[in-house]
Amino acid sequence: MTRWPSALGWLVLLGLLAPVLHTAWVSFSPDSFLTPPTGEWSLRWYRKFAEDSRWSAAVGRSLFVAAMSAGVSVAAAVPAAYAVKRARWRGRGVLLVSLLLPAAIPPAALGMGVLPLLHRAGLWGHPLGLILVHATLGLPVAFLIVRTHLTDRLAELESAARGLGANRWQVAWRVSLPLLRPALAAAGVAVFVLSVNEAFVTLFLASPNTETVPAVSWPELRHSPTPVLAVASAVTAGLGAIGMVIGIRLFGRPAR
Amino acid sequence: MTRSAPLLLSAPAVALLGGFVLAPLVLLVRVSLCEPAAGRGFYTPDTFTLQNYARLFDPHHRSIVAFTVGFALAVAAVSLLVGYPLALFIRGRADRWQPLAVGLVLIPKTAGTLAAVFGLQRLLPRGLVSAALTEAYLIVPYAVLVLVVQLRAIDPTLTAAARGLGASRWQAFRRVTLPLSWPGVILAGELGLAWGIGAMAGPLFLGGPAEMTLAVEVQRQAFEYGRWPQAAADAVALAVLALLALAAARLRRSP
Repeated sequence: MTRWPSALGWLVLLGLLAPVLHTAWVSFSPDSFLTPPTGEWSLRWYRKFAEDSRWSAAVGRSLFVAAMSAGVSVAAAVPAAYAVKRARWRGRGVLLVSLLLPAAIPPAALGMGVLPLLHRAGLWGHPLGLILVHATLGLPVAFLIVRTHLTDRLAELESAARGLGANRWQVAWRVSLPLLRPALAAAGVAVFVLSVNEAFVTLFLASPNTETVPAVSWPELRHSPTPVLAVASAVTAGLGAIGMVIGIRLFGRPAR
Repeated sequence: MTRSAPLLLSAPAVALLGGFVLAPLVLLVRVSLCEPAAGRGFYTPDTFTLQNYARLFDPHHRSIVAFTVGFALAVAAVSLLVGYPLALFIRGRADRWQPLAVGLVLIPKTAGTLAAVFGLQRLLPRGLVSAALTEAYLIVPYAVLVLVVQLRAIDPTLTAAARGLGASRWQAFRRVTLPLSWPGVILAGELGLAWGIGAMAGPLFLGGPAEMTLAVEVQRQAFEYGRWPQAAADAVALAVLALLALAAARLRRSP
């Protein structure tokens, strides 16, 4: 390929980042207009963001919910991936489709169904409800990542260990888990990022006690965006970007 | 593996899926069949009515459904038209640059939906085109991911062989690469369609009052009017449309 299309391609890829970078730029504005700083940059809105207890509580809650849901999601996805990839059984096809289903149902429809459910279960306004919902929403991506790592080579190593006299738990603990660690980490990061960003199911579920960052910010973005909101967006984007970099490092080649 | 092993292994995931996908959907259908709240509460339990579904066919809802489907088609088309060349470009990079390129594509979506939409809201005027572009912008990363995987599976010697036999660049693309990547195009298209039908961010944050999709209507019925049964009926229609979009493309693939 000639050099021209190549430069153009990279330019388009960088151009896709423009909206995110614009937001980050606006967040350094010294005044309260939602425009990028013209003269000097300021951390005024970052200070305001840090001092506002509603935002700091939301950030803390977002991180907590994201960490917990990542753990739950990966813990459920790993054995499920084994059941789909390694065993031939009747429910296999159904399980495979079901594991991908949370990604296919429109968030508004799922949110509208989970809302009365949590109301009835008394989990509305409880972080546990949010954690379990986010863990479920993370299942498709966690499952897909883990499944690509359940290679034939891993299966051979596992059966070699069994042949050498290790029992089931020793195989899991000494062979499978260490070899799967990059996959587990990548899946965990993916669900974590998904949870931090998840807004549209969360909108239906967040009560004042369970507000995550998106639950505070999306209504504000709709009705009265402020420079503080630009800071909140930049902070979540930063968290997500860091997560992504870690994830790619651990996962190696994400394109496969 | 023993016979009960798959069941045991899948039990945690099945519990999550049953509790937070199946149960909500069942309850959603039940609430959609209830009378609206009389007095306090959000719906009247233990009642049965089809009026919420009947209302799906009034002119207001009909125009919303028509708009949603049209909007989704446009969004899916745009995300394919942008995603396919990008995927081709990424596929053409050397192996060591591909992770970087894929990472760049993924960042806007996974790193900050909020930051992306906030920025787009500042950069674009409100309106139909902006709403569709925003939604497509959020879907393109997935389209690219699906297409890159599909393109990588194509044996590169095939295009080289076609070229060697005298095909032009365009002919090699048209007769070899495109047909072989077609399953990826279908998959990316059906995902784009299903997610476009569930579109909420674009219409809500960059659309005007005319850009009303079903997802926005669900949210409005539930929170602005407090009519949960109607919101639930709208949500059922929404889920059915999205699943139909997935199924339709699948049926066409295997005639």
